[in-house]
Amino acid sequence: MPDTRHDDLSSVLRDVAQATGLPNAHYTDPATFEEESRAVLHGSWAGIGFGKDVPEPGDANPIDFLGLPLVAVRGRDGAVRVFQNICRHRGMILVPERGKLRGVIRCPYHSWSYALDGALVATPHVGGPGQNTHAAVDRAKLGLVELRSHVWRDVIFVNVSGEAPAFEAYAAPVIDRWREFEQPLFHGGADSSFTLDVATNWKLAVENYCESYHLPWVHPGLNSYSRLEDHYNIEAPGSHSGQGTLVYRQFRGRNGETFPDFAGLSDRWNEGAEYIAFYPNVLLGVHRDHAFAIVLEPRAPDRTVEHIEIYYAAEATDPALRQANAALWKTVFEEDIGVVEGMQRGRRASGFDGGRFSPAMDGPTHCFHAWVAGRVAEARGRPRAAE
Amino acid sequence: MSAAEAALDARLLAAHAAGDAAALAALYAEAGDRAEARGAVDAACFFLTQAYVFALEAGHAAAATLHARLVAHGREA
Repeated sequence: MPDTRHDDLSSVLRDVAQATGLPNAHYTDPATFEEESRAVLHGSWAGIGFGKDVPEPGDANPIDFLGLPLVAVRGRDGAVRVFQNICRHRGMILVPERGKLRGVIRCPYHSWSYALDGALVATPHVGGPGQNTHAAVDRAKLGLVELRSHVWRDVIFVNVSGEAPAFEAYAAPVIDRWREFEQPLFHGGADSSFTLDVATNWKLAVENYCESYHLPWVHPGLNSYSRLEDHYNIEAPGSHSGQGTLVYRQFRGRNGETFPDFAGLSDRWNEGAEYIAFYPNVLLGVHRDHAFAIVLEPRAPDRTVEHIEIYYAAEATDPALRQANAALWKTVFEEDIGVVEGMQRGRRASGFDGGRFSPAMDGPTHCFHAWVAGRVAEARGRPRAAE
Repeated sequence: MSAAEAALDARLLAAHAAGDAAALAALYAEAGDRAEARGAVDAACFFLTQAYVFALEAGHAAAATLHARLVAHGREA
């Protein structure tokens, strides 16, 4: 097993023309995966799920994030909160499956019970049979452990380490870039939701998503109207990278029907669309008439589940049109599976130096690599917190 | 165990099997009432505690009353 403490990342941090990609260990080695996850996924604002999965007060959705048992709960006040999904008593899992809580969260083991805001409200028999208080058990100090969380573009983000800047500051560059799209999103329903279970490291899904270089080879169907030269790179070091197109064709049905546009967009979006990897693990796309969000769920160094959700500007849209649009996107994302899985298998080649980049075409990928390498290097420079 | 208690016991087991929190709240409250009526305060508070927790889980309005009864007995904060 490689010694990750001496995993040299300096070449990744060079200018794109001289840089190499992240070393193999970042895709294949469990110890490096764990180290990187702490630095990159725990230390920043990672996407873990969607607000649409907890649409009403009392809805709860357990989420396993890198082995952490979490639960997203929509409170009576309408706010989504994310807690560790365990009882403060014996560490029992509280919410085993997605569902609606009519009242409190009751632990199935000894029935310690929590309000939807996490407050511990009942400790039955804790002082003996029929005696529900004990001086040693201070309910005020034993509420559910809440993670910092924030919902943006319906994605539920968490900062596990608790040390990242406020979400609004962390996300400011991408929020500013897409300021025009800061308006209500309406999920398209069951036919606008799908997952892909892919045998690849989550970073390869990011890397593939944020560059347009592969489009003519992997998505030849796009060549007819969306040629490589119609795309541009997006690079915001430390925040996001991706690609844009200048020739987005509004989605149309057989009879020319269209989705309603988002309100008040400037003319640049008439035929413009952008696809951004918001670091670390959320892939976003915006168009005049729909948007999507993809949360990459890292399951293992070589396994990622892609959760894909499509949104519209209005609650009521044509079901057939929605289904056709979802089918189109599913085809595109499935076309990418072969290359992200192929690159994953390629990371088993001993001596691979991480690869060289095209300075013209791979800037967004290098931008992501440099961010990951910088986060890992920074974490290595810090004293390790007690676990 | 009287026939009435046996019947209540059977209904409680059925409600547990069904995971019916609202029914459990009502049935345990009934058991608490019976115990309280015969002056068995500890037993009553056990049952009222059970009722209270299931009422909380069900989001049932009876939770407030059950809580007040337990507080009155010095069993709940």
